[in-house]
Amino acid sequence: MASTTENGAGSVGAGHQSEADRLKEAGWFSRLVHRPEIGAFSGMVVLLVLLALAAGDVVYNPLGIKNNLAIIAQLGIIATGACMLMIAGEFDLSIGSMIGFAGMSMAVMLKWGLPFGLGPASPLAAFLITLCITLAIGWLIGTIVVRTRLSSFIVSLSFLFILRGATEVCFRTFNGSTQVSGLPDYKQTDFFAALFGGETFQWFYDVLFWLGLNFNRAGGQWVTGFDAKVAWWLVIAGAAWFVLSRTQVGNWIYATGGNEEAARANGVPTDKVKVSLFMFTAFCATIFAATQVFDTNTADAAKGNLKELEAIAASVVGGVILSGGFGSIIGVVFGAVIFGLVQNSVFYISWIDGSYYRTFLGTVLLVAALSNETIRKRFTGGI
Amino acid sequence: MSEPLIRLENIVKRFGNFTALGGVSMEVHPGEVHALLGDNGAGKSTLIKVLAGVHQPTSGAIHVDGQPVVFRNPLAASDAGIGTVYQDLALNPLTSVTRNFFMGREITKGTRPFGILQTAEMNRITREEMARIGINIADPEQAVGTMSGGQKQTLAIARAIFFGARVLILDEPTSALGQKQQLEVLKTIKQVRSRGDIAIILITHNEVHAQLVADRYTFLSLGQVIGSGVAEDLGGEDIRRLMAGGAQMADLEEELAAIH
Ligand SMILES: Nc1ncnc2c1ncn2[C@@H]1O[C@H](COP(=O)(O)OP(=O)(O)OP(=O)(O)O)[C@@H](O)[C@H]1O
Ligand SMILES: [Mg+2]
Repeated sequence: MASTTENGAGSVGAGHQSEADRLKEAGWFSRLVHRPEIGAFSGMVVLLVLLALAAGDVVYNPLGIKNNLAIIAQLGIIATGACMLMIAGEFDLSIGSMIGFAGMSMAVMLKWGLPFGLGPASPLAAFLITLCITLAIGWLIGTIVVRTRLSSFIVSLSFLFILRGATEVCFRTFNGSTQVSGLPDYKQTDFFAALFGGETFQWFYDVLFWLGLNFNRAGGQWVTGFDAKVAWWLVIAGAAWFVLSRTQVGNWIYATGGNEEAARANGVPTDKVKVSLFMFTAFCATIFAATQVFDTNTADAAKGNLKELEAIAASVVGGVILSGGFGSIIGVVFGAVIFGLVQNSVFYISWIDGSYYRTFLGTVLLVAALSNETIRKRFTGGI
Repeated sequence: MSEPLIRLENIVKRFGNFTALGGVSMEVHPGEVHALLGDNGAGKSTLIKVLAGVHQPTSGAIHVDGQPVVFRNPLAASDAGIGTVYQDLALNPLTSVTRNFFMGREITKGTRPFGILQTAEMNRITREEMARIGINIADPEQAVGTMSGGQKQTLAIARAIFFGARVLILDEPTSALGQKQQLEVLKTIKQVRSRGDIAIILITHNEVHAQLVADRYTFLSLGQVIGSGVAEDLGGEDIRRLMAGGAQMADLEEELAAIH
């Protein structure tokens, strides 16, 4: 048959082909479409459009943008830490309790003074002492994980309980009740407190005001600036993006999560990488707590509850793979936007019961996890 | 004959009460492929792990260029020029060819470990080094997981050589591959051998592959050397017999024939 001859000729021709010819030079568009962040990005765009249609102005007016971004930024800060650690192949379930612990530590010091009767605490001192403690705890969690080779799921789960318990005990011991409220409004008087609790990017709202889009009822300027946490989020995510994608440790983090044995055999200090990242999640949790304490001038023992799971979920929505070795900070930025928006905005849609938001989040998470799995299979050849 | 690059002297390795290696000696010469053969559990992997610094020998000595050395860890061995390509190849399937090539030894500007990766330069070197041992890769940024098994082998070999391996240890490099890719890896081995300055230790269960590339043989059985020699002196029959641990292949074949 004619077709047989043709096939025969074709296979002879294939003998001259080199492996390199089989991969077509990809155009910029195809490269873009194959980026790992593309799923999260499209999800975000769809969500933004749907929200504009369903809730409209409430979400996109000056106050709506400010409030949404505050929620998104908070989540984004801890999701950045969770994402880095997940790429290195580990989990930290203690993030939420760490937030509660750090908030307690700062608030108790601000209210009752420094430990050992060293006098009243300035916001800077309270923050720095707290940071030392939380970094030490992060170091401890990481060290236990790498020394014992226990699963980080279990070790950090233990610290979820330990830290929450310690937070309550410290509150009761030093403060009498499990919350501190009515701290002085430090952000008005203290530069350092304003860094966490004040406002940022005021120019954005100034411009809106000049454009006539930012008036209150009295005709003055309505919203004056974003919460400082937005700047913290951008700085932390920017630094993490740079480290992960452009530096040597970035490659070590991917290598550690992708194939730990291989990384170690090639001289990557995998244990140090992991311990540092546990300290980084503790750092992110502390920043989260600081923005909360200095914004609201309160703290209580329940703060940060379930935040560790939201951080992990936002990372997964952003394309990070649970088994490690793959993911990007840009994806997680989109993941935080999606997660924060749903969390905050479903309440603005009048014809949906706001309580559905968790159902939405769960669905989004499931879809994201499935699509991540497809991507992983494409890269590993289906195992 | 050239000086041996590596000389192993009476290497003993015990795991608790179990003697994995009971006094193994062998010599490895530059520009030669040394086939290390033996049945399952003979101690081949254990021997090369001792050589690669993964295990410390219970007793015995390793000489590199005639000097006695002690490898406390894999890094010390690789600093001494011993490059091991493990069965799992020590690759991270989810990241790019370049990132794998330079894993742990990245080219950077700035202070460790936050130095900035010199991606363009690393891509260029990766492409060149892969091409030198016969594989053209179109895109060094492609994920390693998308490469063929033979290409992955080549990547691991190219990496070991680029980072100064004078002894290349290959543990069953062809075992998981299809026919064509097996030949591709053998071609790579010959390519490396023809440079003349690198010694290759090849572990395989495939006598045909061994005969295609090996210059020298060592046969292990139950942790002992039961035979060794150069290729010219060994016939296919000897090789097959010694590979099976010295048992009479004829006996085994008879036993096989008796089972229906
Ligand atoms: N870490 C260890 N602890 C205890 N026993 C070990 C250890 N490593 C290897 N052994 C034992 O040493 C013996 C030799 O194992 P080795 O892996 O060196 O065999 P091999 O020749 O590479 O076999 P194969 O051809 O199946 O790969 C085996 O009986 C094995 O069970
Ligand atoms: Mg073996």
